[in-house]
Amino acid sequence: MTCLISSSPIPAQAGIGLRSYHFQEILKEPPPVAWMETHPENYFGDGGLPLRVLERIRARYPLSFHGVGLSIGSANPIDRIHLQKLKSLVNRFDPTLVSEHLSWSSVGGRFLNELLPLPYTQKSLNHVCSRIDEIQDVLQRPLLIENITRYLTWHDSTIPEGEFMAETARRTGCGILLDLNNVYVNAVNFHLDPFEFLDAIPAEAVWEIHLAGFDHFGRWLIDTHGEAICPEVWGLYQWAIHHFGPRPTLIEWDTNMPPLSVLVDQAKQADAILGGCRVATS
Amino acid sequence: MLRLHEIQEAFAEVMIEGKYNAMAEAIVPGSSALRSMALYRRLIRTNYTQVLNVTYPVLRRFVGPRYFDILARGYLKRYPSRSGDLFLYGRHLPVLLLESQVPRLLVELARLEWACHEVYQASDSPPLATDELDAVTSADPSHVTFRLNPTARLLRLSQPVHRVWLALQLDAPTDIAVDLPLPEEETGILVTRAEGRIHVAALADLDYRLLEAMAERNTVTELEQMATEADPGFDFTRFMASILDLNVLAGVSMEAPS
Repeated sequence: MTCLISSSPIPAQAGIGLRSYHFQEILKEPPPVAWMETHPENYFGDGGLPLRVLERIRARYPLSFHGVGLSIGSANPIDRIHLQKLKSLVNRFDPTLVSEHLSWSSVGGRFLNELLPLPYTQKSLNHVCSRIDEIQDVLQRPLLIENITRYLTWHDSTIPEGEFMAETARRTGCGILLDLNNVYVNAVNFHLDPFEFLDAIPAEAVWEIHLAGFDHFGRWLIDTHGEAICPEVWGLYQWAIHHFGPRPTLIEWDTNMPPLSVLVDQAKQADAILGGCRVATS
Repeated sequence: MLRLHEIQEAFAEVMIEGKYNAMAEAIVPGSSALRSMALYRRLIRTNYTQVLNVTYPVLRRFVGPRYFDILARGYLKRYPSRSGDLFLYGRHLPVLLLESQVPRLLVELARLEWACHEVYQASDSPPLATDELDAVTSADPSHVTFRLNPTARLLRLSQPVHRVWLALQLDAPTDIAVDLPLPEEETGILVTRAEGRIHVAALADLDYRLLEAMAERNTVTELEQMATEADPGFDFTRFMASILDLNVLAGVSMEAPS
């Protein structure tokens, strides 16, 4: 599957996250990866090095924007200033994919800077769908929505998370960014079967996959994106690629940053699985 | 069943105030509600501390991570974020330090780092074009004013705090030594950006005052007069050449004042 939303398609190959920690290394020797993804909020400034680097990256690689600040699930109206800044960047850099999280992070003028879970109810579903419609109208392109890690379960939740995401995609036409590390972390933290979630996701709605690592904190696995991908998540990835088909896959790393070569090695590992699937299905 | 905004408002309150019991019954007991909320509160605090780490790296190196973390917690409580734009988070840290009556060095180091933070992402502005500069030389100096580049900031400090800033850069030479306490010595600082990198320099007092006057759109005639009154031997051409080198100027106007 090749995503053809922008002028620069992202192939069903592995990409890596673009982080300022690696700017100099990437500019010096562009890594052999198929595409890059970045948080658009890091480029909301008026000028300077981040935007210049992004221009150079965009000239060389297909790009994906992975937002963290739209607070799609917030009960308050969408932050129009934030959305306009995002739209300006989208217009300027023409990323192939634009994604956000199925979460909320602000309410009543309070910002918590964390991807917080929604109660999965019919009302939340209606609310989220209307917000995604609004965002897609402004951006004039489909959005991808990512499943998040959560560390609590709301009493009010009545719809399984996978069904909630599938229905959101069906109603709004948005894609699903399937984060397999989040699926795994939630499954371990709440003693769930990850395949109950995955079985609910329609293959045609999965437009991108995220792979990342986690840390341990007490009884919890924490989605820190600060470690290598664990064998169990690689296992889920193999299953997902065979089940859903090859998809653009991101190696996501945000804390405890390693040398760029580590990300590239993980991307090669993902590419090997993607390649294996192509051979098996050809 | 609580409405969405009630859940979110209550949760935000819990995260800020730490009164977990107020929220416990909205969360499935099997997931250890209190521990979940404590974990979220910790994650939120960690995220915001990380933002301050990025914005104030030198201050953090100077005071050490432990004290900085305490400072970051206090900051989150006193100035919780009011925007999803993390670039804005932390701008009140110098005020918090001032209110906390810490040594003035820390307040001024924070002011300097916030200026660097602003300059880092300030809008790009091309240097003055050669034809604009040529035109200036033949224009009536009483009509010529300059506009400072958005990537330039002037900062007046009561101590030469830039020495600490320079010494604590990650790529600073290891033989730089700064004697503390710093002398009480008013210092004019210019923060600029070149090739994406931040430069901090202390200016001679008169150079600094001339740049301040330039930022306030004083004319070249007024600037020259100010310079000559302060120092009859002042080399105005040298001054102009040095600020052009630093890409401090972004625009010029040669129109008669209305």
